[in-house]
Parts: sequence; C-alpha cells; structure tokens
Amino acid sequence: MTIWWLAAIIIGAVWACIGFIWQVMKLNRIETANNKQGFDQLTDGASKDVEHIFNEEFREELRNRGRLHFEKIIGENAMFLQQDLRLTTSQLNDYMKQELSSKLHEEFAKYEESITDAKQLAIESIEKTKQTIEEERVKLSDQLQTEVENEKTRLINRFEENMADIVNHYVLAAIGKQIDLSDQLEYILSELEANKQAISEDIKHGA
Amino acid sequence: MALDNLKLPIQLISQGDVGRVRRELKDLDDFICQANLRQPGTPLKTLPKTSRGLSDFAAINKINLLNEGDRESATASLNDLIVRAPVVHISFAVDPSAAFMAKIAIWFRDKIDPLTLINVGLEPNIAAGCTLQTDNHYHDFSLRQHFYDQHQLLMTMIKGEAAR
Repeated sequence: MTIWWLAAIIIGAVWACIGFIWQVMKLNRIETANNKQGFDQLTDGASKDVEHIFNEEFREELRNRGRLHFEKIIGENAMFLQQDLRLTTSQLNDYMKQELSSKLHEEFAKYEESITDAKQLAIESIEKTKQTIEEERVKLSDQLQTEVENEKTRLINRFEENMADIVNHYVLAAIGKQIDLSDQLEYILSELEANKQAISEDIKHGA
Repeated sequence: MALDNLKLPIQLISQGDVGRVRRELKDLDDFICQANLRQPGTPLKTLPKTSRGLSDFAAINKINLLNEGDRESATASLNDLIVRAPVVHISFAVDPSAAFMAKIAIWFRDKIDPLTLINVGLEPNIAAGCTLQTDNHYHDFSLRQHFYDQHQLLMTMIKGEAAR
C-alpha cells in the first residue's frame, strides 16, 4: 500500500516538473515569437543579452533549483505519507486489536458458556448416575443380605441335620456292638407289648 | 389234623424251621415206605435223622410218626401251616441266640397268635432294638428310630451346649 502511494506521488511530481518545464519553454517560445515580429532587432540584441543572462549555466542552475525543490516536495510528501501511513498502520493495528480482542472475548464467552452448560449437563448426568448406582447398590445390598441370610439359615439347618446324623451315627456305631441282645430283651418285649394291639390287628386283619 | 388244633413247639420258629420239619417228615415217610416194601434179606437203609423240632412237634401234637395216617395228617398240617400261618419278619442288630428267639416266639404265640412264624433278619445299623415287618406294616422299635424321634431334643441340647 505504501509503495503504491509513494509511486503515485513520485509520478505526480514528475508530471508537475515536466509541465512546469513545458510551460517555461512555451512561454519562452511565445515570447521569442512575439519579439520576433516586432522587435526583431531588439530581439536580436536582447537575445544576445538573454543568451548572455539565461545562458546554459543559468538554466542549469534553475534546473538544479527545480530539481532540489522537487526533491524537497517529494521528501516532505513522502514524510507526510510515511507519517500518515504509520498513523494508519497504528490505527489499523489498534482496530485489528480491538476487533480481534472483542471477537475473541465473544468467542471465549460463548466457549465458556458452552463449557459451563456441558459441565452442568455432565454434573447432572453424573448425579443421576450416582443416584441410580446408589439405588442399585442398596437394592443389591438388600438382595445380597437376604441371600446371605437364606444361605446362612440353610447352612445352619443342614449343619444341624448333619450334626444330628453324625451324632446319631457315632452313638449307634459306638454303642451298637456294646449292647448285648439279651439285655435288650426286656426293652424289645416292652415295645412289642406297647404295640401289641397294632401288631395283632395288622396280623389278623391285615389292616 | 385241623390247623386250629395244631400246636407248635418252641423249636419251630420260622418258615424255614417248619419247612425243615416237613422235609424230615417226608424223608421219614419215604424211609418207612421203603422199609415196608423191602424184600427180606435186602439191606435196610439208614434211618433218617430227625431233629428235636420234629420230635417235639410230634410229641405235643400227639402224632405217632410210625403211623402213616398221622404222618399224612402232620404233613398236610405243616403244608397248611406254611400257607396260612401269620408270618412276621423281625430284624436285630446282631444274630440272636436260639434262647432269645424262643422268648420272642413265646411272646408272639401267647399274645398275638399261637401259630405265628417269625423270620429273623439282620440289620446292624439299628444298633439296638428291633424292626418288625408284617405283610402290611413296618414297626421300628430300634435305638436308631428312637434317636430320630429325639432329634429335636438332641439339637436343643447341642445348641444349649454351644451357647454356654
């Protein structure tokens, strides 16, 4: 951007210089032509003086002055242009900074809001999950407790039954061979006597 | 001889005993028949041995074993007895002695039926007492059954001992 501006200014300055020289030469030609008609003689004399005054050195001096002036103008303009350019660049930077900053703030705000929403959603989901897990845990715990109680009762009952069987078996095995059959006669006869009626009915009637 | 008038000696306790006596009686009958048919001069077969059961059976029922009619009558009675006599099966933990079984048989024949036949079995796991089985019922008078009946008492005592 700066280079294009500078080039345009330079081209403008060159055109102005060319125009100025062209005007000077034109005026010079007109003046020469006018003097040519009326005052040819004076012209010749004057032209000698003019040639003497506006000689090649003088014109070179004018050109140098014009060139210097032109360079000065160009320099000043370039300086102004540079200042404007710097100012514009600075303003542009500030503008860009502000825009970017505001956009970033907006985006960050949106992003933060989204994160907050997602966080809230996640927290609610976690809470629900925790609640469900807790309910399941309580249910499972109750179920497990019931199962354990049932199993415990079953094992105790089984143990008691087995225990009774073991004790019975042990006692029977321990004393079975120690009791003489003749010693049991009284017991057997008393049992038979106690069940005499049933045995008699059973044998006689088959009931 | 009618079955109602028949008396059984104490030696005849089981169906096996009755069957054995019946077999002895048949052997004796065969011997006497052969002896009657024997030609003079031919050797006589040895007299078959008779058990005390047969002797007592003949004695208490007033049977003359040399009389063919009595023998036939006795055989018929024994056949009838095997078929019609009430039979019980009694089991003990150990093999009972003859004297023991005689007392048992006396009780049955006094209290239940005079012609009761008792088959004896062995059931070691009952420890003591006996089991009685008729055609229709099973009576358990064993110590094992007594323990089973007292199962709750045993458990109460075990629990009480464990709690103490």
